[in-house]
Amino acid sequence: MKNLRIYLKEENKLDLIKVYMKEVTKRLPEKMRKDIALELESTIYDMLPDNFTEAHVEEALATLGNPAVLASRYKDSPMHLIGPKFYDLYISLLKLIIPIVGIVVFITAFVNRLHHDVGTDHISLVAVSIFGETLWTVISATIQTFFWMTLIFAILERTIGNKVNEPVTLSGKKWTPKDLKQIPYVPAKREVKLYEAGFNLFWTALWVTIYFNAQYIIGIYEGGTTLTFVMPIFNQETLMAYIVIIIIHLILEAIKFVYMLIVRQWTIPLAFGNVVVHIVSIVIIILLFTDAQLFNVEFIEYLANKRNETIGQTEAMITNIKWIIGLIVTAICIIDSFINFRKATLK
Amino acid sequence: MDDLLHAFTTELRRGTLTLAVLSQLDSPQYGYSLVQRLENSGITIDQSTLYPLLRRLEKQGILTSSWNTEESRPRKYYEINEKGYDIFKKLTMEWNKLNEELTNLLEGGE
Repeated sequence: MKNLRIYLKEENKLDLIKVYMKEVTKRLPEKMRKDIALELESTIYDMLPDNFTEAHVEEALATLGNPAVLASRYKDSPMHLIGPKFYDLYISLLKLIIPIVGIVVFITAFVNRLHHDVGTDHISLVAVSIFGETLWTVISATIQTFFWMTLIFAILERTIGNKVNEPVTLSGKKWTPKDLKQIPYVPAKREVKLYEAGFNLFWTALWVTIYFNAQYIIGIYEGGTTLTFVMPIFNQETLMAYIVIIIIHLILEAIKFVYMLIVRQWTIPLAFGNVVVHIVSIVIIILLFTDAQLFNVEFIEYLANKRNETIGQTEAMITNIKWIIGLIVTAICIIDSFINFRKATLK
Repeated sequence: MDDLLHAFTTELRRGTLTLAVLSQLDSPQYGYSLVQRLENSGITIDQSTLYPLLRRLEKQGILTSSWNTEESRPRKYYEINEKGYDIFKKLTMEWNKLNEELTNLLEGGE
């Protein structure tokens, strides 16, 4: 029994050495292992007295330190995923790309789901499902973008990282003051905020989708807690007749969005472009409002009924509302164009 | 505060390790014998830095190594070569210059 205990004690202290060796070498590439292992083992035994105990072994291994750190020093490879050379570039690109991905995916997913789901079920259920699906798609896309970017930079760090000594700029070389010339000086007042541009595009895309599906969405709802769709307000055929100019407007907004992303500040050309888009909006309003067939006939009858008046009176009221809306939209467009022109001419 | 001083001191020592090591390799030494030589001169050595350093210096062409399998256990001996000696001499001069500059600063000289 005593011999067994002594045997086990011997085994323990030797095991300690063996395990340490393994912890170091397993982190090393094959080619280096044998040579380093031999030298390391020899060194450890050199440090130990003749009848060493486990305590001696622990002391010796303590001077050598953390096997992971020792191995990393032998390998001369980074103990980080993305180091100082590429970190700034990595973060800058992330800040640039992820919001754009988020916005674009949000718009496409939302519009897609809207188009898909609308009219299929009860309006509240549809709304929840649209938002839920869209949110999930955006999160999923963002996570994937983050993953791929991180992976690419981790690989860069380990391949060309050896040839680069200092943090890398967007142009891929060492920073010089000339790099500053590349960045346009954007005074805060002229800056185009990313969310502002994205919001505009999103808003337009949303309205276009609602436009396409107006017959299912825009209508009279009745009932207390469970709303049921009774009839559409607009004549879908009429709406679809103007589809070309609606699409043109959407495309112009998209172009404006991309241009904003590139230029990032209000310039004269951008302000002009903004005015053009606004003019198209006003033209659309005018075209729609002057079309006699805009409203669903049943809707007008329903409204006249509810308000206890003649069809003529209801139509007169609707015309007044059209004027009011038209003027408000025109006013907003003019004010927005003016504001942005002022921004563009600021120094 | 002690931690901070310890960190600065370690940094200072780490900078002089290469010079210290090269100065002791005029005759062939193996890892542990080098440690003992340095510690006998009063220099505390971080062993987890020393062994990889020897390996790197060899890779950079400053040392040559050879395995000695004759004794009780196999040992890897390092020795400074011609190129290494040349660099060592120049590095020593740089060290002396640095020493002088720093001494001047610390004594408030010009």
